[in-house]
Amino acid sequence: MSVTLKINGQGKTFEQGLPQTLAVLLDEMKIDAATVVAEIDGQIIERAAFAQTELKEGQSIELIRFVGGG
Amino acid sequence: MAPHTFFELKNAVVGIAGLGGLGSNVAVALTRLKVGKLILVDFDVVEESNLSRQNYFTDQVGCHKVDASLENLRRIHPEANLDGRKVRLTPEKVVEIFKDAHVIAECFDRADQKQMIVETVLTQMPEVPIVSVSGLAGYGRSNEIVTRRISDRLLLVGDTVSGIGPGVPLTAPRVGIAAYHQANAITELLVNELHTKLTRSAT
Repeated sequence: MSVTLKINGQGKTFEQGLPQTLAVLLDEMKIDAATVVAEIDGQIIERAAFAQTELKEGQSIELIRFVGGG
Repeated sequence: MAPHTFFELKNAVVGIAGLGGLGSNVAVALTRLKVGKLILVDFDVVEESNLSRQNYFTDQVGCHKVDASLENLRRIHPEANLDGRKVRLTPEKVVEIFKDAHVIAECFDRADQKQMIVETVLTQMPEVPIVSVSGLAGYGRSNEIVTRRISDRLLLVGDTVSGIGPGVPLTAPRVGIAAYHQANAITELLVNELHTKLTRSAT
């Protein structure tokens, strides 16, 4: 059964079910967790809690990614 | 700008985290605006290679960036209220050192450090907005550098994708554009949104 999340305003469908946690989602998206500030439904999720943060159908996830330089 | 806005800026406290290409230039812009107080934090010393984009001079190579910045900023505005700290910022230090800041400028170089301070401010400093930068490496593409409001307390400057890497150096013009976007966003926050708080702290 396919499920959907909204990631940075765009709908994303998962055919094989949701990634279990935020950490797994980032891993699947090949995003280095050390460079991301994440928000789920407007709530900031601390990086230390990514691996314990379970995802639920229909959530709106904002991933603010940082690249080096300054 | 109406004259009263300068009064607002006179009572403002801005924290600047990192005094490299971004921070050294943001500090210059805010000093010229006579922002009330700047808290300037960096643990590093000026290197020859920094002169390609950071606001330092040949005779300052080897000096702490904090000391060199204080010297340069006082040449612009001798009475400037500047609080320089030679420390490496950790989440605990961010909260402690910037506790009186009305707004914080994230001026770090490394992506994981940017993440650290943005997460810390958003989760532990509920009153304070932060203006961060991501994506300023290379040259040209001036108009791809934008200021976006991500949420109530997070503003993000940059093109979001141009990280430093092989063949993608940091250049004075593009770093300067990002730094002045950042200083301009801070000015706008202070004048338009934080003025009530600034007036209150003056009385």
